[in-house]
Amino acid sequence: MKYIADINGTEYVIEINSDTQVVINGKPHDINFQALSQHTSYSLLMDGKSYETNIYQDNGNWEVCLRGRRFNIRVEDERERRLRMAAGYTSVPKGKFSLQSPMPGLVIDIPVNVGDEVKAGQVLLILESMKMQNELTAPRDGKIARIQAKVNDNVERKQTLLILD
Amino acid sequence: MFKKILIANRGEIAVRIIRSCREMDIQTVAVFSDADRHGLHVRHADEAYYLGPSKASESYLRIDKILEIAHKCGADAIHPGYGFLAERADFSQACQDQGISFIGPKPSAIAAMGDKQVARDTVAKAGVPVVPGTEGQGDLSDEALLKIAPEIGFPLLIKPSAGGGGKGMREVGSIKEMPGLLTASRREAESSFGDGNIYLEKLIQGARHIEIQILADQYDHVIHLGERECSIQRRHQKLLEEAPSPVIGDDQALRDKMGAVAVQTTRAVDYLNAGTIEFLVDKDNNYYFLEMNTRLQVEHPVTEAVTGIDIVKEQIRIAAGLPLQHQQYDIKFHGWAMECRINAEDPFRGFLPSTGVITQSLIPSGPGIRVDSGVYSGYEISPYYDALIAKLIVHGETREETIARMKRALEEFRVIGVRTNIPFHQALMENTEFLAGDFDTQFVNDEMPPFSGVQKDKSLPEVAALAAVLATHDRADRSAIVIQRPKRDSSNWKWMGRWERTNK
Repeated sequence: MKYIADINGTEYVIEINSDTQVVINGKPHDINFQALSQHTSYSLLMDGKSYETNIYQDNGNWEVCLRGRRFNIRVEDERERRLRMAAGYTSVPKGKFSLQSPMPGLVIDIPVNVGDEVKAGQVLLILESMKMQNELTAPRDGKIARIQAKVNDNVERKQTLLILD
Repeated sequence: MFKKILIANRGEIAVRIIRSCREMDIQTVAVFSDADRHGLHVRHADEAYYLGPSKASESYLRIDKILEIAHKCGADAIHPGYGFLAERADFSQACQDQGISFIGPKPSAIAAMGDKQVARDTVAKAGVPVVPGTEGQGDLSDEALLKIAPEIGFPLLIKPSAGGGGKGMREVGSIKEMPGLLTASRREAESSFGDGNIYLEKLIQGARHIEIQILADQYDHVIHLGERECSIQRRHQKLLEEAPSPVIGDDQALRDKMGAVAVQTTRAVDYLNAGTIEFLVDKDNNYYFLEMNTRLQVEHPVTEAVTGIDIVKEQIRIAAGLPLQHQQYDIKFHGWAMECRINAEDPFRGFLPSTGVITQSLIPSGPGIRVDSGVYSGYEISPYYDALIAKLIVHGETREETIARMKRALEEFRVIGVRTNIPFHQALMENTEFLAGDFDTQFVNDEMPPFSGVQKDKSLPEVAALAAVLATHDRADRSAIVIQRPKRDSSNWKWMGRWERTNK
């Protein structure tokens, strides 16, 4: 099975031949990949080198934490890629982004209004939790479509706070 | 000596205090809120009593309930730990009034040092240099502060009078941005301390934060246990501390001088028990009094490592009326120690706190390693208290050995289930300025934003890409098993029919 992994525009073509053999960009490697805990923690042996990694799913992409670094990776198999190319997309279309509360907390401030154009990294909401005021920011440029929380609201984990178009 | 001590705290510090009590053969009493029934301090203590709902104001800050429990279980002393009631003069007073020993300073010393303006007045009178600011001028209006600000000079800091730990603190670069920052600071001070009073203080550029640990007994003995370097901070929250400080190092004369000033400050408020004098030290090694922390500090283990003294045991002995066991000339410093605060915060997402269940944790061990932790595998991190889950303390012969050991320990440290700031510490251990000991309190803001992790091994992206692909493949495999045809040679409908026939 052939996959294409994309890290910030750099592509890696990875073919899985068996449980113990892969080919990365044309070069074969011996591997051994084992889940350690609940499918977030894995041990990977690659050509004898030992790596331990935490892998999370994040909005359809993978977030891989490895030796103190984090990588955001999009993985497609060949079929998915052909379908996407045939449909004429050069990249995955941007859907609505819903900002969810990462933890229970108190809404301190919402410095944006419905209809505002915001930039990636701009503060959308200030949430107080764990004795700290935390700034929740926009992951990308967009327009505020809806705001579903008010200042002084106590919100739950995963509660949708606002929606970005 | 005390027979039974109640620990009016939670988390790693409650566990830390229980450990010293155990070694001194003193019974321990834990208290817990709804969120902490499964806390490690409850599991380690000899006795544990329910205090109240999860919100600190309804549990760990309830002086009346804590004293009621202390009376009921027959505790003869209370240790407040740090945070919560540790620096509340009224708590120390209430303990004294009800005949229970408070393991900490007298109410008068807490009050004198607790209000930072009074503290600065007191030490200035004793001849200790302080940072220029609106000290001792009472609660000034925004208009008055805006008028005084240019006289102090920019950049300056807005600080809450009642505060600590960096909450409500704001840095001001110019008069233009000041009105908004005053509002924000008052708002945060009001919500954190119930007191919106603030004051201004000149920001010393390139300053280091260095503090001196002191011990004082009832017999007029005051000694210091040397310094701790605490300049590695983010939003005025310490992240890493070490002893000795790289700027003081072998300069025993400077250490003696700052130590003597710390002892003098301690005497000025008739202080009892363990305390810490915080200084700002500028590029020319001028030092200014910042504040006194009238409690056990989070970072006390680095001093314990280099002096060999158990500070909690000393606190208990002092409170029980015993004289100090050591004179100043007995205090010898051995090697180098460093502490990394492991917080449930995601350094890749602006240090956003992370809550959830720790499904697995592997704690580093081996030579020179100490881990003070309040969590374990299966423990749930709640949003009610601070994000500190463990302190990793490393001791070595030299700073180089200590850093190499810290790198090794951080790599061993595995926490699964919540995000931690371990990658931040790993990046710090690779930073050349940090390695050279060349940093100030702005270091994390100036040198390490935006945090992107260690940038060393060039083959890592390829390995990460492979891991992501294997995870995708693994998931596809598992879903394939779920939708596979059943292994039986007939359909599930047939099985269902048979089951119904035989069971009806």
